[in-house]
Amino acid sequence: MTFAALADPTRRAIMERLRTGEATLAELAEPFDMSVQAVALHLKVLERSGLITRGRVAQTRPARIASAPLDNAVKWLLRYREFWEGSFERLDGYLEDLQQDAGAS
Amino acid sequence: MEFLAPHDEPIIVFRRTFNAPAQLVFAAWTEPRHLRHWRGPRGFELVACEVDLRVGGGYRFVHRAPDDSRHVFHGRYLEIERPSRLVSTFVYEAAPETEVLDEVTFDEDGGTTAVTGRSAFPTLQARDLYLSGGAERGLAESHHRLDELLGTLVS
Repeated sequence: MTFAALADPTRRAIMERLRTGEATLAELAEPFDMSVQAVALHLKVLERSGLITRGRVAQTRPARIASAPLDNAVKWLLRYREFWEGSFERLDGYLEDLQQDAGAS
Repeated sequence: MEFLAPHDEPIIVFRRTFNAPAQLVFAAWTEPRHLRHWRGPRGFELVACEVDLRVGGGYRFVHRAPDDSRHVFHGRYLEIERPSRLVSTFVYEAAPETEVLDEVTFDEDGGTTAVTGRSAFPTLQARDLYLSGGAERGLAESHHRLDELLGTLVS
């Protein structure tokens, strides 16, 4: 969900804006050449994915970044290479052991 | 190990050679009794490993991280050509909407086996989120780490 939510450039731009602090829908919509309603839909996607939270102030409901899901997504990314390098090092040794065992028996 | 992430195609490719025949590498790649010994990054333990190696069958791996968090991956096997080729889907359960298509080939040459893995992402954006958080800014807190990663991935 996190990855799908961030696959859209408008939503990434919103996330970038929110990095500088919380913002209302009107503030977030301002730089975009699209309706406030369209931006509201993007906010809804980000909120559903857990990437942002909305405040409870009825009129403005300022949006802000929720850090945990992003951290998880980034952690996976960073681990992609680490994952295979660590695995392959172990696989090297394991394949060697297997072949030695086969040769010895 | 070689890593490749072309700018115009949503894929990541890696290539690595092992000093063993393809039959053995393929078995190590697909059988739980072998997988437990090697799959996962350093410090991680494969605490659950279920494999139903049939076309349409599935797999599920649970890795335990050093911080005791669990990372679960699952997928379905789409094509199986023992010992030379394996096509499957790949889903990280923390990001379940991104289904990756994995194709792994095993090419034996004189007792060594070159393994080529090709991971195809739904979109360039989904792939680039892995590789170029730096280019897209907005994930700035992780920029430096991502830049480092990108540097190593494309080098």
